[in-house]
Amino acid sequence: MAHIHLEDGAFSLQWVSIWWILALILVCLCIYWMRKMKNNNNKVLTIAGMCTAASFAIFQVNIPLFGGVHMNLTPLIGILGGPVVGGIIVFIVNILSAAIGHGGWGLIGANTLVNITEVSIAYFTYRGLAKAKLSSFSRAGIATLTGLMFGNITMIVIILVSGIQGVTQSRMDILYGLSLLAGVNMGVAAIEAVLTGYVISYIQKVRPDMLLEAESLV
Amino acid sequence: MNNSQASGHIPDLDLITHYSENCRSALSRASPWTKLVALIAIIIILTIANSVKLLVALYALILILYWQSSLPLRKLFDWCLLPILFVLSLVVLLMWNEPGVPLFSIRFAWVSLTLTDNGLLLLIRLLLKALISMTSSLLLLMTTKYAHLSAIIYRIFPSPLDQIFLMSYRFLFITLDMVDSMIRAFKSRGGGFIKSMSRQSQTFAEIFALVFIRAYDQAERVNKAMESRGYDGTYTTTTEVQQITPIEYLILSAFLVVVAYLLLF
Repeated sequence: MAHIHLEDGAFSLQWVSIWWILALILVCLCIYWMRKMKNNNNKVLTIAGMCTAASFAIFQVNIPLFGGVHMNLTPLIGILGGPVVGGIIVFIVNILSAAIGHGGWGLIGANTLVNITEVSIAYFTYRGLAKAKLSSFSRAGIATLTGLMFGNITMIVIILVSGIQGVTQSRMDILYGLSLLAGVNMGVAAIEAVLTGYVISYIQKVRPDMLLEAESLV
Repeated sequence: MNNSQASGHIPDLDLITHYSENCRSALSRASPWTKLVALIAIIIILTIANSVKLLVALYALILILYWQSSLPLRKLFDWCLLPILFVLSLVVLLMWNEPGVPLFSIRFAWVSLTLTDNGLLLLIRLLLKALISMTSSLLLLMTTKYAHLSAIIYRIFPSPLDQIFLMSYRFLFITLDMVDSMIRAFKSRGGGFIKSMSRQSQTFAEIFALVFIRAYDQAERVNKAMESRGYDGTYTTTTEVQQITPIEYLILSAFLVVVAYLLLF
């Protein structure tokens, strides 16, 4: 997943508050939506809890590609859980990540916005491609790549708008630097797209009922 | 106690929980609310403070508290690697050509990069902030019992966010063990020797897919078991969390004075 790998103190108090408030509004909308869902509500809660734990546990695994890559598989969470449950999951994963030093507490708001973008775009792209007669591997791969690309764009916009405290470079110079970072992120996104493609095609074979949320329009 | 298949530079949750349950320091006896408010105050200080001296003093204070609580310092330094890399990955791109006294210059084709004293200070400041943030978070986690953290989560977050959070926190250890045993099994069958990128990706994808499938199955089983015991979507935590003592109020006031001073001046 794209992640603003900055720690507390990078953004000013004003921007930390703004991103936190925006993220909380989105999370509150997700909570409101979840409360409205009456059917199998308890089951959804338990599955969301397990998916959060699985996502965080997978993040701890070092994949031996290009010297070691970590991933949270946020687009996969989006495809499996949908944007509402996925939005809550990424918020909790960001809190757990901040607790162990992966991104600052102040940046949970900004990172949640980035991850909700990834979750939602991946989910809607996966659903949107249902009529395109593509294999589940291709659909999941494209959805992941699109989700992560938009996540990267959101990340760049957030950093450009907020600025980094102590940096006097012009926005254009910062954009050049961030473009380099976004390029690296998209390289990792390509790996994540392949992994998510394999994961979804495996789940499709073994437990197709897990994909009901994303396949319900088909 | 150690999820050995996970990366060594990511804080080990089993070890953190072991310390949180067995730590007998003064900090572990303090109210979890005091520690939470202090952590929030530290985060606000990090957000508004720019003085390197203040940051060094704060880091020294937190390291002393960490050491006084008999927590593993060597492990802490191992875990610092990831936040340091995160800061470097972005700041290394942004610290050049800052106004100030030039320290050295590099020239790439048509681009000239100059590192000034202010550029270096930016790097030091952000590194210190990252280390302070991480160490204080771990200090809170490693000196607060699981039951108290759960009670705090239950009281702070609205439903169903608190329910999902509490369940994920409980499931986390089972899931970590599951991932650990699957990777151990994969490696014991020679999986670690596979060099083909495509094969490697496919194998890890199958492991991840299995993690999600097993997690899903387990969630269904747990849900049925909980519903048969009367679970209606409300997972109540009854643990009493100790209240803030007068001395702790004084300490928190000191933090608030620092925050107010930094905000006003």
